[in-house]
Amino acid sequence: MTKQLRMLAPESFREHLSRRAFIQGGTAAAGFAVLLTACGSDDAADDAATGGEAATGDYSRVVNKASGSLAMYTWGDYNDPDIVGALAESELGVTMKVDYYPSNEDLITKLAAGAGGSGFDIVVPTGPYVPQMIEKGLIQKLDMSLIPNLGNLDAAYVSQTWDPNNEYSVCKNWGSTGFFYDKTKITRKMETWQDFIDACMNEGSGNCAMIDTAPNLCGMWYWSQGKNWNSQDAADLDACEKFLVDDFAQHIKAFDSYPSTKLAEGAYILSMGWNGDLRQAYTRIADAGGNPEDWVWVLGTPATELWMDTYCVAAGAPNPEAAHAWINWLLVPEISIKDLQYHGYNTGMKSMDSLIAELAPDLQYGDMIFFSPEQVATFQTQEITPTLDRMVDIMNKVKAKAGA
Amino acid sequence: MTASVAPEKRWRLRAPKYALALPSIIWYVTFFVAPIAFVVLYSFGTKDTSQLVPVDLSRLSTTSYVEVFDETFFTVFRATVRIAIIATLLCLLIGLPVAYFAAFKVGERWRAIVLAAVVVPSFTSFLIRTVAWRIPLAPNGTFSKFLQDIGVIGDSGIQILETSLAVQLAIVYNYLGFMILPLYVAFDRIDVRLREASKDLGAGRFATFTSVTLPLAGPGIAAGVLLTFIPMCGDYVTATVLGGAKGNMIGAMIASQFSSAQNWPLGAAMAVLMIGAVLLVLVVGAAVVWLAPWLLVILGPIVQQFRRRRATRLRPQGAAPSRRWGIADSLLHRLLGIWTTLVLIFLFIPVGLVFLHSFNRGNSFTIWSNAVSIKWWGELFDGAVFLQTTLLFGGLVAVAVITQRILKRRSQFGAGYTTWIVPTGFVLALVVNGVLTSWYANLFDFAGIGDAIRNSFIAAFGATVIAVILGGTAGVALARRPGTWSTVFMVLVFLILVTPEIMDAIALATWFPRIQDVPVVGYVFREGWGPFNGGINKLWVGQSLYASAVVTLIVRARLAGLDESLEQAAADLGAPPGRAFRQITLPLIASAMIAGGLLSFALCLDNAVISTLISEAGSTTFPVALLGATRSTIKPFWGVGAISLFVVTMASLWFLVVLLRRGGASAGNIAATLTGN
Repeated sequence: MTKQLRMLAPESFREHLSRRAFIQGGTAAAGFAVLLTACGSDDAADDAATGGEAATGDYSRVVNKASGSLAMYTWGDYNDPDIVGALAESELGVTMKVDYYPSNEDLITKLAAGAGGSGFDIVVPTGPYVPQMIEKGLIQKLDMSLIPNLGNLDAAYVSQTWDPNNEYSVCKNWGSTGFFYDKTKITRKMETWQDFIDACMNEGSGNCAMIDTAPNLCGMWYWSQGKNWNSQDAADLDACEKFLVDDFAQHIKAFDSYPSTKLAEGAYILSMGWNGDLRQAYTRIADAGGNPEDWVWVLGTPATELWMDTYCVAAGAPNPEAAHAWINWLLVPEISIKDLQYHGYNTGMKSMDSLIAELAPDLQYGDMIFFSPEQVATFQTQEITPTLDRMVDIMNKVKAKAGA
Repeated sequence: MTASVAPEKRWRLRAPKYALALPSIIWYVTFFVAPIAFVVLYSFGTKDTSQLVPVDLSRLSTTSYVEVFDETFFTVFRATVRIAIIATLLCLLIGLPVAYFAAFKVGERWRAIVLAAVVVPSFTSFLIRTVAWRIPLAPNGTFSKFLQDIGVIGDSGIQILETSLAVQLAIVYNYLGFMILPLYVAFDRIDVRLREASKDLGAGRFATFTSVTLPLAGPGIAAGVLLTFIPMCGDYVTATVLGGAKGNMIGAMIASQFSSAQNWPLGAAMAVLMIGAVLLVLVVGAAVVWLAPWLLVILGPIVQQFRRRRATRLRPQGAAPSRRWGIADSLLHRLLGIWTTLVLIFLFIPVGLVFLHSFNRGNSFTIWSNAVSIKWWGELFDGAVFLQTTLLFGGLVAVAVITQRILKRRSQFGAGYTTWIVPTGFVLALVVNGVLTSWYANLFDFAGIGDAIRNSFIAAFGATVIAVILGGTAGVALARRPGTWSTVFMVLVFLILVTPEIMDAIALATWFPRIQDVPVVGYVFREGWGPFNGGINKLWVGQSLYASAVVTLIVRARLAGLDESLEQAAADLGAPPGRAFRQITLPLIASAMIAGGLLSFALCLDNAVISTLISEAGSTTFPVALLGATRSTIKPFWGVGAISLFVVTMASLWFLVVLLRRGGASAGNIAATLTGN
């Protein structure tokens, strides 16, 4: 019935049903093109340079063969299993061994404990943690001559503040933070962090989850106030602590950085999360026999974060040659887009729109991967400042209060 | 004659009493006392994240301890102890009838089946079983929907996940086996004649149980309580997987100080205080238990009078009571049987779910997609290699079995030889396959799970060998040459048992870099030796600590029950100490060492917290890999991996049971030795 209706009036539907269009494989391509012209790359100059056309021919596709085994220490479920498994074996000639860590601090603790003998080749820290790791001697300088595909990256994602000349790190992918809720349980329309906080304290009380990192938890409060989470203003921190510990903590059900599976299990009705993980929640919910259309993704406003995870080569890496080959291989457009389709984070290739149109025309929920220039303008990147200690402290207090 | 004895005696006089415990002492000083001392030292430092070890030791202060003494720590600590005490009591209440049933109410055959059913689930990965509890408890899950349909619960489904109730349930589940086994052994060793005498003297069933059976089982109960309560206090994996914000436990809080907060001084201070507090709880508990008999003595006359009065009241009725008791007896028997069955089903629920969900077509382990598929098995096992391996393995074992049958029928050889054929064929098949498929690594196709399973096995095996050697020698020394040293040594053993795993983990992880320039020792941990890399060597050390402490206690308990006359007789007959040890003491403690070995193997195989911090890229074990994955989505192939590891473990256990059978031990004895009584 609804199908007929949609066929009768597709034009009027397309505008506000863009997400629905993504669910329906058939109409995806059309809806996607509309969205992408709106999103595009956030770097107009770069678009002009590449002509903004279907430019898959302009990419460098060097694959340096390597051998032996390559040990990667990374975040959970962060690469397409095919790429890590069979493809790495056949195309790159290496056998991958992958281990997972839950936070940047865990990564640093483990590498520091190993004192250069941890045996990992590749690690994937978030950008702002790179300087600390350089300082402690946990990662080594990259040999750029072994990464000729670096030019495939959009200029916006090279030369970041934490590593101005990309001497140590190369962008793996970047993402943002928002929230996700069951609209059959929370019926009002939610658009901002303030809405999210309010829902957590009312309809969603005792049924909501927060990302399990201190900066994200505190950041949410800063963003809801329209403030910059890197602000070192003591009054802001005090206000943040007061609100989170005294008023907010008791409503939290769990601290969970990867809520997608648990959302599908029905453990939470709303949750804060990173865009790629929440995108996967749609598949999981369908798996569990739920209706994905009951769930809504909202990118946090008025401000939210932009984080970027980077590939680095660990100090004392047993197989640095293969590590460089891996980083370079992941910059080959076909591999990069395949990976993107799995984890759902923007890998930062130049002229991303035409690349997607060509290589992944039936990509679903594209609006959760690519953001409009207006949205990107509201993103803030974390800086490692002394306030981080205070945020960790606040987090501990919130956890104790939430558990009481 | 005298001439040959005299030198031995002199030798014996000269050797210090702790001579046999020396390997353990050296091991513990090097890998426990010294590393832990550094962590204790860190607790007086200040946080400094610019250094590799983020502690500034130039200014020592007690700030961290002051910081610990705030509301937050004690709130969480109270919650943890509450969960642990309730769980220990629940384990005792649930496990007691099962152990009683197995010990007194069933025949040898069923006893073995019940005990095996208690032990078997614990050889499936601890972590995956904990995760598996998410399946029946999920508010959107099949079970929840079923309960909603029949109207037992409301529309929101089961609301247990992410609460302390879920943690409580899973903790009881995870430690129940560790309670049932010691209880069973304690009951099993009670002389039936004592119980009969009690009844002949007119005591009722209940009175016999409370005043004869239960007190005699006292040591078993104490062992069970220690084996469950202590690890529960430090457990944080269960809380992490199931507890959400409400199930916060002290172990998780300490771990987060070391990792996400990078505040090692605070984490170390918390750990030190936690050790003290757990010891305090144990001392209070022991005092209560110690006072209980005195209380009984005081109340004794009153109770006696009451009983006597009741007995005289009952006597005139003649034969009638015995008939009534007959009915009650069969009812009790049936009730105990039903209870045991229910408990066993409870123990097998997660194992069954792991198996079922390894055939899940969906992308996550806990979410059943309503479709059965062998996709994840296919994903994990490389088809051709798997087929080749199975065929080869099956073929070799089949040949062994057939050969044994034929030889047995012809009875040309004694049974002594034929029983060895199948186990030998099994080992041969294992080795041949291992060589051909480069130790099973190729069997698994996906991102190192094959490696992880193999590493788990090698690490647990090596650590178990170390634990058995250390625990065996130290146990003998403790039981046979006690002195001042043994008190100090026992304190050390208890400290090893009580220290939270995360503290051991940090201690060892920072200790290895310190000793990496020491000749030989440092080299072994840096470069490894033979086929074993440095990471595997570190795992052996890390996993052997707790395991060897457990073996020490078991061996000591075993020998304490046997007097030294046999060894003395051997010495009097002129056997040198070495020979007396080999021929008398070793056979005496063999069963305790096997039991301790089994227990440590299971513990090492599940070790996640220590292993996570000290393993290296090439030595990741299955629990380490799985713990890393639990933070994000657990794919169904972890179920496949867990089942595979389970099958490999069971196969090796089966082999061991065959060996023990060969050695003449009955199933009951095997179980009895499991707890070293």
